[in-house]
Amino acid sequence: MTNQTLKKSKSRTFMTKSDQITKNILLGFGILSSSFIFIIAIFITFEGAIPFITDNDGLGTVNIWRFLTGTVWLDGRTFVSTAYGAGYLILQTLYLAFLALLLSFPIGVMTALFIAKIAPKSISGFMRGVVELMASIPSIVYGLVGAGFFLPFIYDFGQLFGISSAGGAGSLGVVLVLGLMSLPTIIAISEVSIRSVDDSLEKASLALGATPTQTRFKIILLAAKNGIFSSAILAIGRSLGEATAVALVAGNARSGPNFGLFDITSTMTSMMLAGLKETTGIDFNIRFSVGLLLMIVILITNIILNFIKRKIGNLDEA
Amino acid sequence: MKRKYLSSYFLDGLTYVSTFLTVFALGLIFFFLIREGIGLLRPSLLTSDYFEQKYISSLPAGFEYYSGELPNPDSDDYVIDNYGIIVEESIDKAGALVIRVKYIAEDSPLRNLENENPAFQDDALSLEVGMVINRVAYENQPSSLPSRGAEAMVETMNNTDNMIRQFDFGVEGGGIRGSIIATVYLIFMTLVIALPIGVLTALYFNEFAPKNKLTNTMRSFIEVLTGVPSIIYGLLGIAVFVPLTTTLFQINSSNLVAGALTLAVILLPVIIRTTEESLKTVPNSHRFASLALGANKTQTTFKVVLPQAFSGILTATFLGIGRVIGESAALIFVIGTAIKDQVKILEPATSLAVHIFTVMSNEPANIELATAIGVIILTIVLILNLSIKLTVYLFDRRKRRA
Repeated sequence: MTNQTLKKSKSRTFMTKSDQITKNILLGFGILSSSFIFIIAIFITFEGAIPFITDNDGLGTVNIWRFLTGTVWLDGRTFVSTAYGAGYLILQTLYLAFLALLLSFPIGVMTALFIAKIAPKSISGFMRGVVELMASIPSIVYGLVGAGFFLPFIYDFGQLFGISSAGGAGSLGVVLVLGLMSLPTIIAISEVSIRSVDDSLEKASLALGATPTQTRFKIILLAAKNGIFSSAILAIGRSLGEATAVALVAGNARSGPNFGLFDITSTMTSMMLAGLKETTGIDFNIRFSVGLLLMIVILITNIILNFIKRKIGNLDEA
Repeated sequence: MKRKYLSSYFLDGLTYVSTFLTVFALGLIFFFLIREGIGLLRPSLLTSDYFEQKYISSLPAGFEYYSGELPNPDSDDYVIDNYGIIVEESIDKAGALVIRVKYIAEDSPLRNLENENPAFQDDALSLEVGMVINRVAYENQPSSLPSRGAEAMVETMNNTDNMIRQFDFGVEGGGIRGSIIATVYLIFMTLVIALPIGVLTALYFNEFAPKNKLTNTMRSFIEVLTGVPSIIYGLLGIAVFVPLTTTLFQINSSNLVAGALTLAVILLPVIIRTTEESLKTVPNSHRFASLALGANKTQTTFKVVLPQAFSGILTATFLGIGRVIGESAALIFVIGTAIKDQVKILEPATSLAVHIFTVMSNEPANIELATAIGVIILTIVLILNLSIKLTVYLFDRRKRRA
């Protein structure tokens, strides 16, 4: 047999005609599944661009510069004015997400270190269960805990210092809720990366006379920093995109930016949820513009954070 | 002997404190939900409507008093012999005294009441167990009101001299039956849409796809979906699936089908990944054995490989159910926030999670009802988690033995 016939017979054995049909049908499903990200991108870009490129049924176009830098959500009445501004929403969204990370990151990493390296087997098993359970609690329940438990607490706390807040709603509530929500993400991913640190590193450090504590904090955490940083990136992503939980505790500020912990605030997502009673017109389409903006902000934040991660990760690559 | 540094205690202490805080936070969530929600967690919460119903009725001319036997009442029940009912006092959501029907005999005159509402004159009304009596007005007596207590009402009604002129009763609101039904519809429809697409996509990637750049790109496109915030899926739903369903079914509102389609897209990456992972555990020897016996690749894939991925598909199903139950942001756009008691798949309704959002956004927020639903959702999520663990345990054990 020549090589040619061998090749032919091989293809015939493994792929009959009906197999080829099956493959093509399944390929169709594969294409369908992988096309959704484009459907999302295309439709949101399309709907979100409408306020900026059409005259919105005679109201005039929305000024894109004003939209990106504005400090008031809508100057004027709905369906009359086109003076939308979302700049303060971007600032507040990023501010709240990073503040939440500031709260959850140290706690999360320390807990991960405890689970991976310090706790006896039974306790670390229990803790993994705790983290899994926290991760599977729906965000609306976190929002509910925030609105029902944290807000009254924050209100009373503010009163102690003579600050009267809007029933406790505001930045502090959002930060607590987002911090709590991103905790399981940080713990789970950090723990895996801490556990996968090479045993030899740990042993070498101990052999050189470092105490177990020094080894944990100076060697293991440093060696696992790539994974730990990834967990922070994921947590930020989750915080930026969180909607309902934030909407329940933010207080929905229509102008800003407000950075005070007891001031009411709002994020891009909470502003998208507030309203949307109409199904056409500018007040409907402007939510898509905010959605588009949110995707861009998340994308840019991710790119920057991944860039930083690569920069600081390079040190111990050798 | 190594000296233990003070800083060691401090640093190790930090990890202990952090772990404690994590556990404490979870405990706090459970404590809060159960403390606030326990008061409403009764079976009637699950079976009753959200909106209260009020009926105004009167007894038909020439009705007959009840003369049969009644079951033995509890010590704090009240018996109205003439009408064959047993009632109890209870507290409603606003803390007011209500009189609830605990038992009503088959041939009680209150089973056949004339509707006083002119719009529904022909519909006979019937008092049912669980309903509340709002007011009983008489020809010759001041009305009996629940606020004056059950004892006074029972005494006046039991006196046959007092002819009833008007009998007001109704169903207390605040139940979540409609949202439960809507959630079940959503789970069912979402899985029917997402499971076939997800499983077949996984089969393509694991069994048929060539190992090249294009395949990897397609994979990464699907993987990107996991990072998209759920509110963006809501926008997808309202921009694509709502118009799609409204034209397809000739309706003009947001609806549960559009919600299910939106959720199906959210579930896809999870289903694909979970199924693929379990497809990967199928040993190649099984594939070769099947092919060697003369089966073609299609038969091998569907009759030999796919059945062995059952545990993965089951896990994906459980994960999917959990996601559908917990999803709120995406659904708020697509199925609306208006709570419905009569749920139809081509109309807007609320799932349990959206129900929480709606009652929390109302003024004043109904924290008690929201937390009660929160407890229900958490219980389901807990059961699903355990089911996943059990699935993995059972199937892994079988594989190890084989």
